[in-house]
Amino acid sequence: MTHDEFDDLDRALAALPLEEPPAALRARIMAATVYRAAPEVHAWEVWLIGTLVACGAWLVWAVASAPRAGERLVDAVTQATASAGLTSDYTLLWLAVGVSTAWWISQLTFPSPPRKRIDAR
Amino acid sequence: MGLALAVEPPVTAPVLEDQALIAAALQGHGEAFGELVTRYERAVYNLALRTLRDRTEAEDAAQEAFFKAYRALGSFRPGAKFSTWIFTICYRACCDRLAKRKRLSPDELPDRADPSAGPETLAERNDEACRLRAAIDALPEKYRAVITLYHLQGVQYEEIATVLNLPLGTVKTHLFRAKEQLRKVLTA
Repeated sequence: MTHDEFDDLDRALAALPLEEPPAALRARIMAATVYRAAPEVHAWEVWLIGTLVACGAWLVWAVASAPRAGERLVDAVTQATASAGLTSDYTLLWLAVGVSTAWWISQLTFPSPPRKRIDAR
Repeated sequence: MGLALAVEPPVTAPVLEDQALIAAALQGHGEAFGELVTRYERAVYNLALRTLRDRTEAEDAAQEAFFKAYRALGSFRPGAKFSTWIFTICYRACCDRLAKRKRLSPDELPDRADPSAGPETLAERNDEACRLRAAIDALPEKYRAVITLYHLQGVQYEEIATVLNLPLGTVKTHLFRAKEQLRKVLTA
């Protein structure tokens, strides 16, 4: 095959100007790449959460599949409650008072000091 | 045969300069990637436009190509040509779109029908560039891609073969047949 016969065509192709892309294309590309906002959740965070969930699921399965799992779990909870003193009426009373106070404080509103205005750049 | 091509940035831009821009972009200098976009945006858009024959889709494909390139910038092989790389990404994006188009409407041809490509309309066109563009648009997809890259990259058959993932011989054959068809249409 010879290319000499295509000389005119080659010249026409060489002289053929490229079409102008839309004016907004560059801005669109830049917005999708360089100026793209960082994702709310990073990939490593997704992996970490996934791993933790998988570990948790495995732990639940390991506990639930153990022989007499229900009984042992109830025993463990009872023991923990007793050792924390949660069986005493006196402790429960003070716990209720503490929770109520915390809730009451959380409902209070305080006047906030004026903030310095930060100009957006 | 050496030809002065219409596309200045991809052909004349030195490889080292592109490499330096890529290195800067990898270090977090966004403006360096912006410079690469400025250099190749036109050529990439034209490749997509000639392949897809649809302006909106070509715009989307060009954006997709740059987005993929930006994400994969770290894997860019030092010493390679950025133009070849971005054209390859763009051409693949276009092929995906053509395949999707074919899947969505299997009864139609994969290429979108272009009314400007008809011989009657073509004959009416006086402008040489418009006639040539219309003739290129009327080519089958495989010939259109090879002639577009020949237009963009010049006589760099290896680069064209890399972008299209075709053997060198096939590229030369396609180019010959594409030119033959173009000449036939233009001299008709």
